[in-house]
Amino acid sequence: MRSLSRIGIGIVASALALTACATEPASEGSPNGSTDSADPVTITYSNFISDNGNEDNLATIIEAFNNEYPYITVEVETLPYADYFTTLQIDVAAGTGADVFDIEYANYPAFQSLGLLAPLEGVDTSVYRGDIAEAYSTNGTMHALPTSFSAVVMYYNATLFDEAGIAYPDGTWTWDEVYAAAETLTDADAGVWGLYQPISFYEYYKALAQAGGQFLNADGTAVAFNSPEGVAAAEWLIRKSGDVMPTEAQGAGTPDFDSGLWADGKLGMWVTGIWNFGVAADSSFDWDIVVEPGKARAASAVFSNAVAVAASSEHKEAAQLFAEFLTSSQTMVDVRLGSGWELPAISNDAQLAAYLDQTSPANRQAVFDSLNGIALPPVIKDGQAQMQDIISEQLGEAAAGRITVDQALSNAEAAINSLLG
Amino acid sequence: MRSRLLTRGLLVALLILGALAMVFPFVWTLITSLTSGAGLSATPSLIPEDPSLDAYFTLFGTTNFGRAVLNSVGLAVIITFLQVATSALAAYGFARFDFPGKRVMFAVYLATMMIPIQVLIVPLFTQMRDMGLINSYWGVILPSTASAFGVFLLRQAIATVPREFDEAATIDGAGRVRIFTTIVLPLIKPALATFAVFGFMSSWNSFLWPLIVLRADGLKTLPVALASLQGQHATQWDVLMAGSVISILPMLALYVFAQKYVVQGATGSGLK
Repeated sequence: MRSLSRIGIGIVASALALTACATEPASEGSPNGSTDSADPVTITYSNFISDNGNEDNLATIIEAFNNEYPYITVEVETLPYADYFTTLQIDVAAGTGADVFDIEYANYPAFQSLGLLAPLEGVDTSVYRGDIAEAYSTNGTMHALPTSFSAVVMYYNATLFDEAGIAYPDGTWTWDEVYAAAETLTDADAGVWGLYQPISFYEYYKALAQAGGQFLNADGTAVAFNSPEGVAAAEWLIRKSGDVMPTEAQGAGTPDFDSGLWADGKLGMWVTGIWNFGVAADSSFDWDIVVEPGKARAASAVFSNAVAVAASSEHKEAAQLFAEFLTSSQTMVDVRLGSGWELPAISNDAQLAAYLDQTSPANRQAVFDSLNGIALPPVIKDGQAQMQDIISEQLGEAAAGRITVDQALSNAEAAINSLLG
Repeated sequence: MRSRLLTRGLLVALLILGALAMVFPFVWTLITSLTSGAGLSATPSLIPEDPSLDAYFTLFGTTNFGRAVLNSVGLAVIITFLQVATSALAAYGFARFDFPGKRVMFAVYLATMMIPIQVLIVPLFTQMRDMGLINSYWGVILPSTASAFGVFLLRQAIATVPREFDEAATIDGAGRVRIFTTIVLPLIKPALATFAVFGFMSSWNSFLWPLIVLRADGLKTLPVALASLQGQHATQWDVLMAGSVISILPMLALYVFAQKYVVQGATGSGLK
């Protein structure tokens, strides 16, 4: 009993210690309140973009915002990307949502149609890159502002190309030229592969656009990919497997398989996002990037994040000021370019000059060139995740040879059409 | 004699095989955490080629991981203690006292175990919001104060303690409280230890609730901090595995410490 009560005291003491620690910070950036005519307001910002390493960068931007608008205090809440949207849903249901919050393009239509996003009147849209900003506009009004973007490009190992004695890829290459080069580069005995491109939804909708096809019909009521273009796109993804690209059984598709292969210098060309620049920077060989190859036309996957103002916010004006600052201020551009955080989606190329001047890779212009042919992912209001899984799964079945490409597309067509109702 | 040795040998070989299969993921985790810049795909070599603690330095240097460990330990200890205390008292009541509606109450109590947290999450969250407990440790502690599973487990354990002990103590002049603390509790130690391990484990691993209640940076728990190590596009596996290794350690330590009781408790009181 004595030892029990001793434990009890220990518990209470540690509870007190925890509570004490918890209440001590949170005094940063409080408003002075005196310098400006406006009444002090506090807005909350819920985000995933600064999670895992960019918290300080976000703090720098907010500090600059506070200098400009001393009467607005921003309380930041940072959540892991993987669970951000779960939390957001609960907040919406419980009415505890933040004034400003992150979204990504894939869930913009769903949130917008539910009326969760406040229309942003009077935003100067010319400061944003046209195609990216366009994605967040509904009926001519912006409902979110793009924070940043990432593009998918094609990396190539220049040293391997030199050894094989073939010319480097350039932005005009099409699938056929890439395939021919990949065949030359592949040396299965040495474990060297010509090309790596995942077999998944994200590659498929893009390849479909490159082939000149459409994922959904014009009014979005049914899928349109079970077409000659759709078959060509699926075959392009699948026919590489086991030929110029490792099969699933050889490890393709497992996390980091591709970056490992690349780092070992055993991959000629790699279709992946610019977020792998950091990984590739350590490579012991020469490398560079080009815009992804197309077929009927060039099309690149571009992902963007955005911030929205909650329709339920009581401080919409202050919230919009912050959203605009976060997506277009000079401080934001400086911080992002200086730290290698994702690229800002701004239209002023002069501001982005610092990015282009960096090397490794040298051809950074390709990142911006890829924006000339953006293939936006198809989005549906209900069942986005299921739709993506259906495509990835059916393509995987076809790649493994268990079903034909035609069967895979028919299966996917039926399953997704039933999602669309 | 010979065939007996053979069966025994076979049995040992089979068990070793099973043990290896179970240990392998842990070894893989450990090796990945010690290999700087490692991926997950390559078959791991059992001895890391160039072992380094870089991942651990990154973990504690660039993230608020130490704070998360402290939060998790604190919460798990408090919640475990509260659960053992409330469950033991309730179990004693259900096992030794007769009162109207006892059976129904016990059944209702057990039925709460069938409701998954996902169903309760929004109403419970709204309740915590109204009580002002979002972004407070109490928002995690209070809903976990009682455990239906604990009441069930400990009630079964107390039922195995002969009532004659209680009666003898009563004759010697002991009251209810004294019987509970000096007779019953010491006799159900294995069950208490088992439940403490289960309680600690579920608090230690709990993810969804702490994720949505504890938003402020300094309040995050270890599983939530681990989730933070996976980015939107890419993941540093070596750092993630270093975090996983650290998250396993306290559970491992607790289990080794309480192993003697747990085996006894799980086979003895729970399933009898």
